[in-house]
Amino acid sequence: MLNRFHRKAKGYEKIFCAAISIFLFLCIWQAVVSFTKVGLVLTGPVQTLSALFRSIVQPIGTHTIEGHILWSLSRVLVGFLLGSTVGIILGILMGWFRVVEAIFRPLYEIIRPIPPIAWIPLSILWFGLGEPSKYFLIFISAFCIVTTNAYAGVKAVDPELMGAARMLGANNRQVFSTVVLPSCVPHIFAGLQIAVGASWGCVVAAEMIRASEGVGWVIVKGQEGNSTVQILVGIVAIGIVGFVLAVIMRAVEARLCKWSVRGK
Amino acid sequence: MKKKKSNLWWVSVLSIAGFITIWWVCCDVLKLTSSASLPGPITIFKSFVNKMSSTAPDGATLPGHMLSSLQIALGGWGMGIVIGTPLGIIMAWYKKADLFVRPIFDLVRPVPGLAWIPLMILLFGIGLIPKIVTVFLSAFVPCVLNSYAGIRQTKDVHLWVGQTFGASDLQMLFHIAIPTALPLIMTGIRVALGSAWTCIVAAEMLASTKGLGYMIQQARGIYRSDIIICGMLSIGALGALFTWILTKIENRIVKGVRKDA
Repeated sequence: MLNRFHRKAKGYEKIFCAAISIFLFLCIWQAVVSFTKVGLVLTGPVQTLSALFRSIVQPIGTHTIEGHILWSLSRVLVGFLLGSTVGIILGILMGWFRVVEAIFRPLYEIIRPIPPIAWIPLSILWFGLGEPSKYFLIFISAFCIVTTNAYAGVKAVDPELMGAARMLGANNRQVFSTVVLPSCVPHIFAGLQIAVGASWGCVVAAEMIRASEGVGWVIVKGQEGNSTVQILVGIVAIGIVGFVLAVIMRAVEARLCKWSVRGK
Repeated sequence: MKKKKSNLWWVSVLSIAGFITIWWVCCDVLKLTSSASLPGPITIFKSFVNKMSSTAPDGATLPGHMLSSLQIALGGWGMGIVIGTPLGIIMAWYKKADLFVRPIFDLVRPVPGLAWIPLMILLFGIGLIPKIVTVFLSAFVPCVLNSYAGIRQTKDVHLWVGQTFGASDLQMLFHIAIPTALPLIMTGIRVALGSAWTCIVAAEMLASTKGLGYMIQQARGIYRSDIIICGMLSIGALGALFTWILTKIENRIVKGVRKDA
């Protein structure tokens, strides 16, 4: 009972249990599909995985599954970079200058609670069916999250640190660049991490509603063609990419924010 | 040192007023945009008032759509809380559960809730159930994650004190660990509300005959961006309203703990 949570599970024990539980899960899935009527609409894990591997070489629609993933990723990349850049700048400015806060905060607070998905119809009317409307959506989803975090990060700077810097003779600009900026970096990174996940979800939704390639397109075409295999292949691909994106962001954060508590 | 108290509220008022005026001038006076892509604020207000009672063009009034979306979102969200929070607590408290359940949970977790929509439609058809299930899935994940993290925050010292006074395992869970975890559990519930609300809008845009998501998707088809914007603002306002209510409840329940959450 000592150290309830700090007692580490041994490595092999962890892997062993994980293997058993995933294996059991797959077995139950396969059994349900093979022995009950669910099999009529749902495919088993074996078929799904083999379809996934087949789709690496055999195209679904016009692209192979890697092609679709790259299409989706390129959309995320553009929108996310734009959104997070603008978000970081606006968030920091709002946190530091009270006039900027007074001007932009109310407008921003109106936009923030609207889920990015709800922008889809308007973005299609504004930017057409092509790429810009998807960039815009992802821009919105990354922008809202990153702005919130950057703003909160500046507001959360320890006033004692700022006081100490001022006492040592730092002027406003020095306080900003040497105390405020570094101490809000962990907050910004937390925001970037959430934003990557949200952008990924958003691109899937955007592609489900209107696209001719990308992972969201794969699953929605699967639905239209009554092909659960294709939907499951899409879902597995989305899951894997989402997981890899999260791992990458965590690694970048651990490298760049070594000194902070969150980075550990 | 910057003072917390703001006396710049008039700048904020000016900012919103200025924004609406510029919008009005650009759209209604100078006619820079076509009314199909961006109508002026007055048009939007008029169609908002009109939509409160009129069922054209999509078969339900605005309150009707709201009610339908809210029912499904709150239903799925409630299920997510009822199932997700205890699961997170159990996973954090019992090591065996953690070892066996966590791998499966980790498999499902990186898939965004929306991605389940097509599968659920194929499995359950177009109706109430697929939507509730997808909303449930997207609300479930943050509930589990946060209650898990919350229980894990319990200090060993507190547990030792409990043990010294002869508390049983369950007593320690209910009197020490869960109260410690409460702020994070509430955070999870709030995050879940946000993702449930997003998910229901997406689900309604894909397959539905009623609801705010359906309304804006239909309005796009007939180039009625005034209705789209009404819908978006209602979606945002309802989301903000529920988050506000939750925050009030949270402040009432969670006492004397971290203020930064």
